[in-house]
Amino acid sequence: MLTHLFKLMWNKRRTNSLLFLEILLAFIVLFGVYSFALYNLDRYNAPLGFQTEHMLGVAIDIDDEMDSLDVLRLQERIKRDIRTLPGVEDVTFLGFVNPFGGSTWGIGGDDNGFDAHVTLTFAERDYASTLNMKLRDGRWFEEGDENEKYPPIVVNGTFHDNFYPDAESIVDTIFILGSESHKIIGVVDHYKYHSNFEEPYPHVFLPPQSNFTGEPFQQLIVRTAPGRTAQAEEPLYRLLVDATKNTDVVIWNMEADRKKANRPVVIPLAIMTIISGFLLINIALGLFGVLFTQINRRRAEIGLRKAMGATPAAVTAQFVGEVLVVTVAGLLLGTFFAVQLPLLELLPIPGKYFYLGIGAAITTILLIVALCALIPSRQAARLHPATVLHEE
Amino acid sequence: MIELTNVSKSYRTDTIETLALQRLNLSVPDGEFLSIMGPSGCGKSTLLNIMGLIDEPSEGSVVLAGQPVTSYNGSKVARFRNEQLGFIFQSFHLINDLSVVDNVELPLLYRKMGGKERRRLALDALERVGLSNRATHFPNQLSGGQKQRVAIARAIVGRPNIILADEPTGNLDSHMGGEIMDILTRLNTDLGTTIVMVTHDERMARMTHRLVRLSDGERVS
Repeated sequence: MLTHLFKLMWNKRRTNSLLFLEILLAFIVLFGVYSFALYNLDRYNAPLGFQTEHMLGVAIDIDDEMDSLDVLRLQERIKRDIRTLPGVEDVTFLGFVNPFGGSTWGIGGDDNGFDAHVTLTFAERDYASTLNMKLRDGRWFEEGDENEKYPPIVVNGTFHDNFYPDAESIVDTIFILGSESHKIIGVVDHYKYHSNFEEPYPHVFLPPQSNFTGEPFQQLIVRTAPGRTAQAEEPLYRLLVDATKNTDVVIWNMEADRKKANRPVVIPLAIMTIISGFLLINIALGLFGVLFTQINRRRAEIGLRKAMGATPAAVTAQFVGEVLVVTVAGLLLGTFFAVQLPLLELLPIPGKYFYLGIGAAITTILLIVALCALIPSRQAARLHPATVLHEE
Repeated sequence: MIELTNVSKSYRTDTIETLALQRLNLSVPDGEFLSIMGPSGCGKSTLLNIMGLIDEPSEGSVVLAGQPVTSYNGSKVARFRNEQLGFIFQSFHLINDLSVVDNVELPLLYRKMGGKERRRLALDALERVGLSNRATHFPNQLSGGQKQRVAIARAIVGRPNIILADEPTGNLDSHMGGEIMDILTRLNTDLGTTIVMVTHDERMARMTHRLVRLSDGERVS
């Protein structure tokens, strides 16, 4: 029966060419959407590595003329006073690169005997505790670190996995960063500070004493109690204006920033999903139309097949089978094109997402086609041979 | 053996009821070549459809090859049609997208049979109707007579006991019609196949063993 189906559809190849093209196009679009969506879903599901809810980000402007020791004293006083505000749980200063701020500070070289490119964050001793970051190994910065021979650094899990994949622990390892040797004192699990969809990248946290810019830390992150975030903003603003004698204080909600940072992926994904949805509806309607027309044209053939011994199930299988043969042909050609992406590594996305995308697109199209073919085919199966054989 | 007892068939719409067959009794012994004649609308095709199990009688019983087929369900009827019956239609009903040999194979697709065996039987059937040289042609490359010979090959490929032919020469000129009748007569003689043929052509009917005439759904001779 399968040979018969292939033969019949091959002989009808001109009639079915549009359907074939429609399936091929739908597959390519769906494959793209699924691969992109699955890849980003995986990224999204990987933890950020820090808390964003009930968190406020703050930028202040410290007088440039102020002495560095006075700056340190001012920063300590600001932190102490903020902690006394109602609803505030913790606070920390940080350098210029803040989570979801859109900035990146990177450095790279082969001083360590291998090519190592990393991104940087300058962070205080309170940074990990304020953001509720979890350490997989070692510890965060502590008081007295500044007296160590090598300036300490904390790295993320991707740093460990990429640069020292065979090492069980990299704590106490000396790592050269910008021609200066540093000692790794801790490893945090994750740190995705650009968006939920960020690709894992080696990251290094440097303490304030390694701040080679000479600029004081002028950003803060404040953790509040649940439900107290909005209320904390006004007293926080007043406190900071008083402390810095400067009204140039900007406060933002870190959770809102996170959502905003996700938009460059979420919006195209939503648009692509809507387009795919319309495409699938179009295919479904097209199939209905094609099948109803074909069945009307082939009523005598249906009667003939039934007269020759075809059961209603065999007639249904015949029409569903015919559509599936064209569909599978379109999917095979589409798959041939699709597998070139992972095989030739044309995009910087791991191959498994393309293979999953191929599988998901094939499954979706086959399901839709089978469902759409089933209704007209069952209608065809109900045709009475005595009636249709005498229509011509 | 075909045995129809008190077979009636009526078609009902919202307002009227049309009686196509009225308490018809007919017995066709194995190996007989029977023709049915009558004016248009007298119930000839309805009778053939009921014998071919593609229509059900409103009343009465049908026994084919010793089996009370009136009580058969859908799949059993389909199997019976496939194994015991062969159909020939006035308008051939060939599938234009299939080659001649693939058209002939059609009834065998609904049997458990390998592709090679199917092909062998189809070529045998084409040989029997003298069309083996046209096996790979398509129906639109054939004349009317050749198309009907393909339809006959398709009807006999499954070695049925009964062939039901609905005006098999109706669309053909007298020469081609004569050729078709020769083939049907040979099938009846050589293979012992029972043939029931509906025809409007008195000359063709005279070539069969027996003639049954219908008028207004009743048997008149």
